[in-house]
Amino acid sequence: MNVGWKRTAGLFIVLKKIKIKDMYQIINKKKIWFGISIALVTASLIAFFAWGLKLGIDFTGGSLLEVKFSQQAPSVNEVQTALSDLDLGGLTVQPTDQNGIIFRFQNTAEDMHQAVMTKLRQLAGGEQTANQLKVDGDVTVELQATPETGANQVEELRYESVGPSIGQELKRNAIYSIIIILIAIVIYVAWAFRKVSRPVASWKYGMAGVIALFHDVIIVSGIFCFLGKFYNIEVNTPFVAALLTVFGYSIADTIVVFDRVRENLPKSHQGFEETINTSINQTLRRSINTSMTTMLTLLAIVLLGGDSIKYFALALLIGIFFGTYSSIFLASPLLTLFEAKKR
Amino acid sequence: MSKDFLIKFFQPKGKGKLWWMFAFIAALAIVSFFVDFGFYYNKAVTSLSLNLPKVKEVPFRQGLDLQGGTQLIYKADVERILPKDRTSALNGARDVIERRVNYFGVSEPLVQINSGSNGEYRILVELAGIKDVNEAIKKIGETPLLEFKEQNEDARALTADQQKELDQFNNEAKKKAEDVLGKLLSNGDFSALAKAFSEDEVTKGNGGDLGWISASDHQSIADIVAKMKKGQTSRDLQKTENGYELLKLEDQRVKADKEIKASHILICYQGAQGCSSNLTKEEAKAKIDDLKKQATPANFTDLAKKNSTEPGAETSGGDLGWFGKGQMVEVFEKTALALAKGAISDPIETEFGYHIIYKQDERTVTEYKVSHILIKTKSIDDILGPDSEWKNTELSGKNLKRSSVQFNPNDGSPEVGLEFDADGARFFEQITSRNIDKPIAIFLDNYMISAPKVNEKITGGQAVISGKFTVQEAKDLSQRLNAGALPVPIELINQQTIGASLGHESVAKSLKAGIFGLILVVLFLIIMYRLPGILASLSLLIYGLIVLAIFKLWPVTLTLSGIAGFIMSIGVAVDANVLIFERLREELRAGRALSNAIEEGFNRAWTSIRDGNFTTIITCLVLIVFSSSVIKGFAITLFLGVLVSMFTAIVVTRNLLKLIDERWLEKNSWIIYSSKKNKN
Repeated sequence: MNVGWKRTAGLFIVLKKIKIKDMYQIINKKKIWFGISIALVTASLIAFFAWGLKLGIDFTGGSLLEVKFSQQAPSVNEVQTALSDLDLGGLTVQPTDQNGIIFRFQNTAEDMHQAVMTKLRQLAGGEQTANQLKVDGDVTVELQATPETGANQVEELRYESVGPSIGQELKRNAIYSIIIILIAIVIYVAWAFRKVSRPVASWKYGMAGVIALFHDVIIVSGIFCFLGKFYNIEVNTPFVAALLTVFGYSIADTIVVFDRVRENLPKSHQGFEETINTSINQTLRRSINTSMTTMLTLLAIVLLGGDSIKYFALALLIGIFFGTYSSIFLASPLLTLFEAKKR
Repeated sequence: MSKDFLIKFFQPKGKGKLWWMFAFIAALAIVSFFVDFGFYYNKAVTSLSLNLPKVKEVPFRQGLDLQGGTQLIYKADVERILPKDRTSALNGARDVIERRVNYFGVSEPLVQINSGSNGEYRILVELAGIKDVNEAIKKIGETPLLEFKEQNEDARALTADQQKELDQFNNEAKKKAEDVLGKLLSNGDFSALAKAFSEDEVTKGNGGDLGWISASDHQSIADIVAKMKKGQTSRDLQKTENGYELLKLEDQRVKADKEIKASHILICYQGAQGCSSNLTKEEAKAKIDDLKKQATPANFTDLAKKNSTEPGAETSGGDLGWFGKGQMVEVFEKTALALAKGAISDPIETEFGYHIIYKQDERTVTEYKVSHILIKTKSIDDILGPDSEWKNTELSGKNLKRSSVQFNPNDGSPEVGLEFDADGARFFEQITSRNIDKPIAIFLDNYMISAPKVNEKITGGQAVISGKFTVQEAKDLSQRLNAGALPVPIELINQQTIGASLGHESVAKSLKAGIFGLILVVLFLIIMYRLPGILASLSLLIYGLIVLAIFKLWPVTLTLSGIAGFIMSIGVAVDANVLIFERLREELRAGRALSNAIEEGFNRAWTSIRDGNFTTIITCLVLIVFSSSVIKGFAITLFLGVLVSMFTAIVVTRNLLKLIDERWLEKNSWIIYSSKKNKN
């Protein structure tokens, strides 16, 4: 293996320990991988049922308002007091960096949105100074639009409101698209392996692929349950899109490995498990490297992209990581498990 | 073996083909470059004053979240509308909203009807770069309700008590009026009496002064004062619809502009305002010229009935009745005024089509300066109350085609002119014809703005609301009416507003993320794959140029998620190359000659590339069909990215790799892979 690569990929360093005769003994250690996967999936399911995903306004309905103050933002308490006489419904106030505040509330009426903005401007106390005309005799002096020194300005960065009916609809659409993509993928897998019946029935490839896929999606969801519980990270429609994309990726990764298994099985002189292990080793680098390029670009978005796409990219990143992991350490070992039962 | 391949490879034909391909790729890259960076290229040409042709600048189409703006989704409540009328009502609502948002000067506002699930209808409004979203929401949501009502004469009988009360009131009014008349006749001061006794609250303060009036606005008073001499006051009691009027004629004058009674024949053509005829402009012109030849005062009405395309002309014979200056389109008015009585004009053209005009009569208009003392009487209406006073007619705001501010030709006061569509014109004609000498009330949002009396049947679908408007009020009203009443109630159910500064910040951040991601991928490729990595990086650049050019030319609306899709696709784009290069190494390791290995690497990797991309394509297609606009942006850019990357990774990289001298490559095989590996 390339020396430079070993330094950059921690995974290989771990794998080094199980390397025998230039081959990584992945199938032999399948109990370890199953153990890891079962632990992760169980933890994710517990997180899911204990905390659940923190659903954003796309699904719950409600309003989200993000503002930025030109100077020090008022404290959460100040803001909550100022807004206390408005019937906002379940108001949460979350300070962001750079003097910003994000408000979430149930009321979606436009009047309420305006009322909140008015209160915030009053709180900042800087509204009256902007754009005033000062008339001095016959001379009209236009003041700068910039605030007087000492005045704090409020700027509305974004406002989103989702009525309850549309929230229901987005939820329904999300579920529909998940079902449709699952069906499409199962059909595709069945088609891709249609000619393979010996020595492994084609449905077993499909089954292993789909289990790997659920494994990935459950873990991504579990991680977001955790992020929602402890970091207030919400999931909205982009999260669903990320999951769907992970579906596609995960299954594609698995197909690449199985493709090689399919190619090697008839001509191999090794046993079944050894052949699969060889196939994994042959595709290992490319599985990791293809995911790596995509993960690098996603990493760039997570680190540098704006807030609104950061978590979308993070969901993709986690999903693709586990998609690759499961194609190597879960799907193929599963295949040997299915075959072992038969024998 | 390697010699065979070298021979094959260096056949001029094979290599020539490669160069052709290379030329094609280069041309594609250069064209894409100019599309992507036309702005910078032109700038460079200008600032360096180079003698080079400039290129057309194509901008990116930025989504709302990048340029700032708002997306509003309304639910249209069609429950009370018959299923067959729903489409037209929704289209009407869309048109009205479009007109309303056009006031905001937003570039390319988007207003579209979507049918949501469970049979609901949605109206989607996107306003890019708008400053005052609140104002826009107000403007879109307001539903001015314009109604035309006629007097309700159904079942309006008074009870005996009511009748008694009415008679009693009117008798008292009469006594009071006689009393004031007595005082007036015994040389009482008119102005002082008005102050003391007039029940016209508006004028009593200034001695009952009504200002200049004419028959068109105060007909009953004008009729009375017409018989009086200048300076004279009333000598007997005169009763009008309002009550008893004691009048003083202060002054009178004849207006410079005459009023005209005329009829016309209209031949409209496709594209003219309110035209439902399918004549072309040339055919219409030919027809009107022909009609002009036939027309005489005697047959004009018949010709109009048979030929005029004006709505209602079959019955009206094109009769316009009496009209004064300022009531008709300018060209029309000028021609009509200039005509001699009894003459027929040459064809003229207005925005409605071609006309010929027959001037039947003209008259001078006398204006009177009048003061009055009003002693009110009651009518049945006053007792039964306004609830039953008016009843709705068929005509409503949805029949309104256009409204404009006009100025009353008599006193220059601002008025609001109304122009109805074909149905509206017909309704208006029917309504006016059955209400001659009776008022028709115009209500806006259930508030009566004016109730002009109908003097004669009005054809041609034009009406005027005159009230005591200021110019600003008239303008506002006209604008509101133009904005129109929504035919369907709408409810705002989803709003997404992104401030411009956040949008710009997002663009800057995404740009940074994109460049950083690109650098990471290029470094990765070069470290991992050496020379092929460099070539793959080159084709990645070409990939970027092509995709950006497609974004501009298609055009794809770029949203934040779309950019995320594009950045991610940079990673996906090299997937295929990674697959190929890995396969290439394997082939080399298996002992194949280099050129053979390159071919094999590309060929064998194909199934994996296809399978891998295929699932991504399926996902993208499902997302494009089933998701909201945010996700759509992501799916579209990723989809395009996957397609283009297959081309660049397979065709471009292979072409570049093959163009490199084979023998040189064989000698320096370390630039493709570690030779150490060969031993494995």
